[in-house]
Amino acid sequence: MSLLDETVEIPRRTMTLFFVIDTSGSMAGSKIGAVNDAVVNVLPMLEEISAENPDAEIKVAALEFSTTCNWLYSEPKPANEFVWQDVQASALTSLGAACKELASKLSRSGFMKAASGSFAPAIILLSDGAPTDDFESGLATLKQNNWFKAAIKVAIAIGDDADKDVLTQFTGTNEAVFTVHNIDALKQIIRVVAVTSSQIGSKSSTAGDTTKQEQVIAEVKSAVDNIGGAEVASAPASTASYDDWD
Amino acid sequence: MAELKTNDRITLVGGGSVKIKKELGRGGQGIVYLVDMNGKDMALKWYLNAPDNYFYTNLNNNILNGAPSDAFLWPKALTERQCGSYGYVMDLRPKNYFEFGNFLMAKAKFASFDAMLNAAMKICNGFMMLHRFGYSYQDLNDGNFFIDPKTGDVLICDNDNVMPQGEKSGIMGKARYMAPEVVAGGIPDKYSDRYSLSVILFMLFYANHPLEGAKVVACPCMTEAYEKKFYGSEAVFIYNPNDKSNLPVRGIHQNVIRRWPVLPAVLRETFTREFSEEMLRNPQKRMIEQNWEKLIATLRDRLVICPNCKGETFIEEDKNTCMDCGKTIDITLKLKLGARTLYLTEGTNLYIDHDNMADVQVLRDASAGMLLLKNLSPDATWTAETPSGKLKAVAPGEMMPVKAGIKVSFNQSTKGEITDNH
Repeated sequence: MSLLDETVEIPRRTMTLFFVIDTSGSMAGSKIGAVNDAVVNVLPMLEEISAENPDAEIKVAALEFSTTCNWLYSEPKPANEFVWQDVQASALTSLGAACKELASKLSRSGFMKAASGSFAPAIILLSDGAPTDDFESGLATLKQNNWFKAAIKVAIAIGDDADKDVLTQFTGTNEAVFTVHNIDALKQIIRVVAVTSSQIGSKSSTAGDTTKQEQVIAEVKSAVDNIGGAEVASAPASTASYDDWD
Repeated sequence: MAELKTNDRITLVGGGSVKIKKELGRGGQGIVYLVDMNGKDMALKWYLNAPDNYFYTNLNNNILNGAPSDAFLWPKALTERQCGSYGYVMDLRPKNYFEFGNFLMAKAKFASFDAMLNAAMKICNGFMMLHRFGYSYQDLNDGNFFIDPKTGDVLICDNDNVMPQGEKSGIMGKARYMAPEVVAGGIPDKYSDRYSLSVILFMLFYANHPLEGAKVVACPCMTEAYEKKFYGSEAVFIYNPNDKSNLPVRGIHQNVIRRWPVLPAVLRETFTREFSEEMLRNPQKRMIEQNWEKLIATLRDRLVICPNCKGETFIEEDKNTCMDCGKTIDITLKLKLGARTLYLTEGTNLYIDHDNMADVQVLRDASAGMLLLKNLSPDATWTAETPSGKLKAVAPGEMMPVKAGIKVSFNQSTKGEITDNH
């Protein structure tokens, strides 16, 4: 065997894309159907991005929450191994419990134990309503988590009943909350947000001091202009800062 | 955002147009389409968000000035502003070229060290010419190179950020490839290009990143703040002799652990110097492309075919055992070219100059038990002078025997002598 034949793949950091999906009763019908369809269709794109990306391997994790919350798999999976099981809608909106559950897995003893290390994860929260549990204390726990602080956080508000204040608290800025008014827009924006978040680590940046979240927001915004039925909050961004991470 | 559709016709500056055939791919800045230009298939890069006027003018100037060398997939024609944006036309990438990232992910592999050295030489030469034209590339990273794994031929793409040295394209570059001073907020220039070039060359030779060792892998979550440290203010070369905190990790950085001790010492010395604290902090001291070319030429001079296993190996001043089969290689016969020493073993190709065309092939006449030199040049006839003073012409395709004392003029300026001295 020559030295060149022995070449192995360069180590890649893992970037985990979290889908946090509201499966409360109000999501029943076409909304949950669109979410299921969008995620199934975005998985092959993530697989392709991962296969061509020498910087990062993309893995996927999904947490659904209604009265309780439930991980679709007990660990993050490469996109090509992630077989989507359609989620069903029922009962309440325990976003607070979901925040606590997410916080428990955002650790090296939880989901973030890749041997070559990780990049900050991307977390996409989808909801059409308002929490029915103690969201504040759940979010307070999550906000202590350094992985969460560093994460790219984007929320998709499905329809006008979604509590955008809650989603803004979750993402840290209302700029990262995208509202959709129809099923097509929902599907498109799931695709755009997932693909953009997965690509961001391997792109050349145009400015030194924007965070990855800001880059994702900027790209998603420019894409949203083209999607009928999707809109972005117009108020200025909050001054979210991750300087205290280290 | 302005996407185009099949059969859309896009007009070009200076007349003419291209017709969209289909999308080939999309990246951060835009979409690449297959287009028809006067019956020929070409590629159109179309910006999703049109960059500013300055960028447009610069692109137009680059097109008018032409490519610095044939290594570049250079913009050939600029489109007029239309459909809310603009783009430029370039040649298509041939199918047998793979993105450098594919080599890093071990999906494409160099067929030989000969090909690997060709790739390194072509990349260095490309950037030497680019800088000689007064440009800086600004965004040198693993996504910019397409390489033919068989021959090592290289095409450098994404040439739209190329700017006159000192001017700002607005692009900062890609993390892991950006020079420390750019990571710290500086503007990319030809000096930062040279840093990125040294990273690319290191990854080409060793297939791991020069700054990613134990210290970096121990960081659980690579945030922007940590990127600024590990690739900027606190960058440590993995084989920094004075700081062992970032050594490569067994099981993770396998390629560099395997290759570092085996590839020639001169390569180790060069990278150890180029990634020393001093060079990381002093952009103007970094090695210029011309010296990279010399280094690669030196490596080429030392690359021989092992007569035992027929594999490639590097001869070092103090080492003439094959890196594959471990057997000792007879290197008695050499060609001296000024200060250079080229070792003559059967099957080895010799490169007299810095282009990527082998000039000499060493063959064996089994019946006479003698090595021969074959003239691979398409047009240059060599003049050989025998030890007794006879002059012989060796035309392209012809061969001459390897005998100590024969002097060969390969061209006007390059004269060598075959020796069997130690």
